[in-house]
Amino acid sequence: MQLSDGTIVRRVLAGDAEQYRFLVERYRAEFGRYAIATVGDRDAAQDAMQEAFIRAFDALATCREPDRFGAWFFRILTNQCRNVVARRRDTVPVEDLDPPSGERADAALERGELGEALEAALARLTPEQREAFVMKHVDGRSYEEMAELLGVGVDALKMRVHRARDAMRSLMGAVR
Amino acid sequence: MIERDGFSQDAHRYLDGEPYGDLGGAEASAADRLTAQAREFAAGVEPFGADLDAAVMAAVRRRAPARRPGRLEWLLAPRTVNVRPVWVPVLAAAAALVVFLAPHRPAPEAPPVVAARPVTDTVFVHFELAAPRARSVSVAGSFNGWRVGALAMNRGANGVWTATAALPVGEHRYEFVVDGTQWVPDPTAHAVVDDGFGGRNSVIVVGPKGLVRS
Repeated sequence: MQLSDGTIVRRVLAGDAEQYRFLVERYRAEFGRYAIATVGDRDAAQDAMQEAFIRAFDALATCREPDRFGAWFFRILTNQCRNVVARRRDTVPVEDLDPPSGERADAALERGELGEALEAALARLTPEQREAFVMKHVDGRSYEEMAELLGVGVDALKMRVHRARDAMRSLMGAVR
Repeated sequence: MIERDGFSQDAHRYLDGEPYGDLGGAEASAADRLTAQAREFAAGVEPFGADLDAAVMAAVRRRAPARRPGRLEWLLAPRTVNVRPVWVPVLAAAAALVVFLAPHRPAPEAPPVVAARPVTDTVFVHFELAAPRARSVSVAGSFNGWRVGALAMNRGANGVWTATAALPVGEHRYEFVVDGTQWVPDPTAHAVVDDGFGGRNSVIVVGPKGLVRS
């Protein structure tokens, strides 16, 4: 039987720090794809997720609803991913972050690399649009799940997703 | 360069799995292409491996011993002994409690505890926290291994939680734990110290003559 998040959190807070591994395994798998898709670089995403887990451990006593650790952690992860993206924009040459030129994107499509074209277009969205699009179409979550994780209403999330799709269609349509 | 407008509302409904109206072939094709691209992207993402777990847990182990201050820290700390008037009745009650409990202790071969014997190594300390909406409150500190629930407090009718503990002479750090998870410093503590993790530990100093500063 799998321990609940609340049970694990309480055990960790009571001094059994090794139990934290169960939360790391659980949410590394649950949110890993989200981190990679929103950050746009696997190594940077792993750094962001690692830092998020450590920050969550440090602040675990402030987790008001241990049974909803996942949603609490997700918000820490989201902030961490945003920080990493902002830092990368400050340090990585723009041409490495922005979507490829029309020629490069065309070439990617010719090779059937639809995923690469999408990844490149994702980098052009606002952080909120990118997060919403990834949760909806890459992770395949329902709006209700997204609302639970982000603490944002369903209608607002639909708006973000719709705007993200519109932007994605424009960005990807421009290279077809 | 952006050359096209976005999707129609019907296309968004289609993509959201909701009932939709008239959807032209080109728009349906664009919507399907977008979801196919998202699926392909998702399939191509290699999940993080156990190396991430190992890195996190290594950091956790480095921090875990320092998460709460060391249990022997007070042995090395300089001690100051003062007394606040609020503790005088508590100490008197503690001495009375020692006398009251002595005959019931299951150790007949041990020397009996007598009221005249000065309390030089242990002092009864009374903890109190007003938390009318709490479901449970306990005291976790350096004197009980920071174990949540090791010293449970009793709720009074006015929502004030109380507990009494025999503390050895020395400096101790503690926090109240509300509902098993929320760590709260003692609002009446004489001193608080940073626990190194964004929290604040309350400090209590128990002197060799039964004097207490909190």
